[in-house]
Amino acid sequence: MSRGVTRRRVLAGAAAAAATAALAPQLGCAPVARRRRAAATATEVRRVATACELCPNKCAVLAVVENGRVKKLDPNPLSPKSRGMLCARGNAAIKALYDPDRVKQPLIRAGARGEGRWREATWDEALDFTAERLRRIKDEYGPEAVLFSSTEGFQEEFFKNFGLAFGSPNILRHPTLCLASVNLAYSMTFGTVPSFDLLNARYVIMSGANRFESIITPDTMDLIEGAMNRKAKLVYLDPRFTVTAAKADEWYPIRPGTDLAFILAMLHVIIAEQRYDKEFVATRCLGFDELAAHVERYTPAWAEAETEIPAAAIVRIAREFADAAPRAVYYAGRRSSWYVHDFQMRRGQAILNAIVGNWDREGGVVPNSRIALGELLFLPWDEPTTERVDEIATRFPLAAKGDGAFLQARENVLAGVPYPVKGWMVYKQDPMNALPDRGRTQRMLEAMDFVAVIDTQMSDTAWFADVVLPESMYLERTDPLHMLPGIWPVVVLRQQVVPPMYDTKPNLEIIQGLAQRLGLGEYFDYTIEEWIAEQAAELPVDNPLEYLKKHGVYAPEGAPFYGKTLAPGYRFLTRSGKIELYSQRLAEAGHDPLPVYHPPTPIPEGSFRMVLGRKATHTHAATTNNVWLVEQTPTNHLWLHPDPAARLGIAEGDLVEVTSAVGSVRLPARVTPEIRPDCVFMLHGFGKKSPQLRRAHGNGACDADVLVTAWDAVSGNAAFHETLVRVRKVGKEEHRA
Amino acid sequence: MRERLGIAGNPRWALAIDTRKCINCKACIVACKAENGVPLGKFRNRINEEFAGSYPHLRASFEPEQCHHCASPSCVRVCPTGASYQRDDGLVLVRDADCIGCGYCIIACPYDARYFNPETRVVDKCTMCAHRVDAGREPACVETCPSRVRIFGDLHDRNGALRYTLDGRRSQVKKEQTGNHPQLYYLV
Amino acid sequence: MPEPRWGWLIVLYLFLGGLSAGLFFVSALATYLQRGSDPAYPRLARVGALLAPWPVALGSALLVFDLGHWYRFYKLFITFQWRSPMSIGAWLLAAFAGITLLSFWSWLSAESLDAWVRRLPRRLRFLRGINPPWRESLRRPLAMVGFPVALGVGIYTGVLLGAVQARPFWNTNLVAQIFLFSAMSTGCALLILALSLRRAGLEAGEARLLFSLDIVLIVLEFFVVLPYLIHGALSPLAVREAIGLVMGGPFTVPFWVLFFTLGLLLPLVLELWEMRPVLLDKETFHPSRTLAALSAVLVLFGGLVLRYVFVFAGQVSAFQ
Repeated sequence: MSRGVTRRRVLAGAAAAAATAALAPQLGCAPVARRRRAAATATEVRRVATACELCPNKCAVLAVVENGRVKKLDPNPLSPKSRGMLCARGNAAIKALYDPDRVKQPLIRAGARGEGRWREATWDEALDFTAERLRRIKDEYGPEAVLFSSTEGFQEEFFKNFGLAFGSPNILRHPTLCLASVNLAYSMTFGTVPSFDLLNARYVIMSGANRFESIITPDTMDLIEGAMNRKAKLVYLDPRFTVTAAKADEWYPIRPGTDLAFILAMLHVIIAEQRYDKEFVATRCLGFDELAAHVERYTPAWAEAETEIPAAAIVRIAREFADAAPRAVYYAGRRSSWYVHDFQMRRGQAILNAIVGNWDREGGVVPNSRIALGELLFLPWDEPTTERVDEIATRFPLAAKGDGAFLQARENVLAGVPYPVKGWMVYKQDPMNALPDRGRTQRMLEAMDFVAVIDTQMSDTAWFADVVLPESMYLERTDPLHMLPGIWPVVVLRQQVVPPMYDTKPNLEIIQGLAQRLGLGEYFDYTIEEWIAEQAAELPVDNPLEYLKKHGVYAPEGAPFYGKTLAPGYRFLTRSGKIELYSQRLAEAGHDPLPVYHPPTPIPEGSFRMVLGRKATHTHAATTNNVWLVEQTPTNHLWLHPDPAARLGIAEGDLVEVTSAVGSVRLPARVTPEIRPDCVFMLHGFGKKSPQLRRAHGNGACDADVLVTAWDAVSGNAAFHETLVRVRKVGKEEHRA
Repeated sequence: MRERLGIAGNPRWALAIDTRKCINCKACIVACKAENGVPLGKFRNRINEEFAGSYPHLRASFEPEQCHHCASPSCVRVCPTGASYQRDDGLVLVRDADCIGCGYCIIACPYDARYFNPETRVVDKCTMCAHRVDAGREPACVETCPSRVRIFGDLHDRNGALRYTLDGRRSQVKKEQTGNHPQLYYLV
Repeated sequence: MPEPRWGWLIVLYLFLGGLSAGLFFVSALATYLQRGSDPAYPRLARVGALLAPWPVALGSALLVFDLGHWYRFYKLFITFQWRSPMSIGAWLLAAFAGITLLSFWSWLSAESLDAWVRRLPRRLRFLRGINPPWRESLRRPLAMVGFPVALGVGIYTGVLLGAVQARPFWNTNLVAQIFLFSAMSTGCALLILALSLRRAGLEAGEARLLFSLDIVLIVLEFFVVLPYLIHGALSPLAVREAIGLVMGGPFTVPFWVLFFTLGLLLPLVLELWEMRPVLLDKETFHPSRTLAALSAVLVLFGGLVLRYVFVFAGQVSAFQ
């Protein structure tokens, strides 16, 4: 009898114990229900029109703010530059705003450079410190001893102006790392940098320019519409099988660096078979006879040997291209920082476009339309007269001086020629990741007396700086109006959506703070509101500023107008007034007046050429700390074709070491047939040094660590695809670092 | 299983997807995440990637997918508390307050459209942004797409974009054999 | 599925649910079978009834506390979603709980109850009513009423899976039978184990009933599992691929080694071996405590593994 009582007691006791143990943590659930009910009541919702800053496209955005928090960014359908879409990066801007890793107040270095010891400072302290150090350098070495480098943005102008007002000619801007060569090539040919009417084109050839993957722009959307709905034909040349390759009608894994051979052979066929626009060539172009003679030797058979594209295909494509003209374009691409002869390849493209007569026609290559903005008149400073440190006037006389030649500048600074450069101001740029050979950039930083970085996050460059001046994130700022030229031009407004979360400032106020302390305040004696009001005053709408604040953009109505420059007597902005197939200016500068083919560096047995590229989910090195974007693309891998992978004993996921002449990195391998057997690829933006970018720190590998320094001979544009690497396996998949 | 293709007079919301145009840019996934507060590691929509062929004759396709808002939703059928339900306009939704988080619906869905939300501790899924639809707007994934891959509309509206598209082009649905009568149409 | 939603907790719950159903099944059977006017196997009936409520109570408690919001479990009982196997199961379980608890109460010995009442504090003396004279007469009616409910509980754990069209590994009409026979078998096994732990071991009559029952049930399991696999291999691709999970796929070893061999075949052989005096010579027999306990443990282990394989492999399987 006592046995029964004991058994029941034990059972009851056990049940009670189990219940209590399980109950305790769950009791916390009840308040959740109450909390959520409370939130559902009063919600203050605002919609603010602004412009995205996660990439250079500047899409129009409607920010939805609930109870003071940015909850969602909706596309603003009114801008032709974004056509009512917002990409992954644009949507993820919320997580950039609310990234806990942002720099929250000015920081001054408290230990050795790169050690990572910082002390928080007030703005007064930080600006005093910066101004004082700049003054010191100016007094000892002259104002030209300070570099001002930046990446494009609505407030870049103030930074650049400050550099000039300070007296330094050494303004370095992003085109020299990106598209200086293609812009120069088209400028030298047509006198302007045009857009491509991909919406209406029937035949599109693209070299690289992974438009469906690397960045979402109107060209992306137009090409999708054109290729998928309107059945345009897309021919795509790329050593990688990218998303664009997947959508193209024909993809050729072209031997890297041989695009000019393909273009010259196309020219050869089109001219030999008289498929060019004779009338257009005769009336608008200069140098056709020289061109015809020049391309005689560039036969399709020769091109096949260079490019590994069958000669029959080259002939067929040339014919199809010419026959589809004027609705046929050879797309210029955006980032043209590939090879040391890139300028000439883009010149070849421009020439090809010219002779088929697609200029300023529907479906062709169209010069940009513009919208006139007003300008706030402010006190002008004396333009610096000192020679630039990159010696651009002598080394790259045809290049855009306002952008500079960054890699030449780095070489000269490290060598101390033509004069010492001791200070470096950086805005919205991460040269440690943007320039090739990160070790070399680090040496350049370490050689400086003073480095200041204006940025929203602790980039690798900021990590090695003396002062970090945090700019407010784009949702926290009002910026100058920006006019985006194009076939459909637009003016966009970026206006503040939420007040700054931390002790940060817009760039203009930072610049004004520095200018005042350096006696340059009078050159920046205006507010952003005054600046914008002046800009807006010229717009052909009533109350333009109110209009912009409400709609976010001003886009003129009406269909695009083609053919302005085809009016009789129109003078192109070239020396001859015509479209220059043959360029005398190039000849005078000592360059080939018509593109001469130079083969790329041969790849030694057992080595690979490293090619670069981008992805829709990350903007270069700027977003690899963004939690929503990292969720989509968490890290980078080395793309390696299965054949060389098998020879090297490398399986999917194995840790490999990639070594070039300047450095080596380790990352897991992605063994895939989506790349040529003689190439490797890794996505840019990973492997950060800065521990304050917690998701990006040590995550993946940094391509800049292995890229060698090379630049285009004519424009000084960086050449990022000249790096040859060796690859070896260092670990199995499970031992990945 | 009672088929609910919608009662005449009510709209019947559905999506058509033109996968040819999808470039796998992930805009729809991040937009949905922002619009609906989807926790990290969980997704209300996805893009199925497929690669085929051998070098250099390679092919790739990208297929967005999310809740199919089926006409005979198995998830509604198996829900023991009635938290999972279907509106008259065809949208399949979850009443958070009634969801006990048993997860049966997650398993019963042939399309793996549902997930357990570790923050709210109930089951979530694509709601076709019902809050936007009710306000006369498109779902976030539809609106944000650079390629206009998704076409949203009312199957009953003869003049609407969705009906017009489906009448003009062949389309197919996924996993018909499960008998759910999915309403996510893939244009062929 | 990107990750299995149902994990070991569900496996355990299905196992414990089946176990309770099986225990009550045997207890009810033992109650029903009479020798004269008394139950033929009173101790079996009693032990089974006393044990029956608790495994499923434990499993259900664990399950409730694993819910998204545990305190919402009551919502299962304010509605009846007749198309949802889980709703049906919840109500079946409620009925089963009630019946088995009443049965538990009816099978307690009068002496232990009296002793318990005597030790009650004065304030709780009203609980004296816990031992009404008609208590023990409930035993047979409860057994009869509970018998179909127990079967229902045993079957419903299989229907829960079998009714899901999205999972080709589950979506056949044989899953319910597999789970039912396994449930009954685990019930027998636990009783064999419980009784073989007595110093005196199993009584011959009890052993004959239990072993016979279990042998029949295991054979029935063979007759369900093998056709399930064969039919599956001859079905549309999705089902064939699902069956492939246990025919060369990641669940092959648990299914064939742990469940089929250790959980079905070996106990069958052991039990037949134990029963051979009866089968061959009609002698009474004294089953070895060790072998009885061993085969019981193997059956219980096999039942758990069976549910593990089904729950996990099912969530991996999908249509294309």
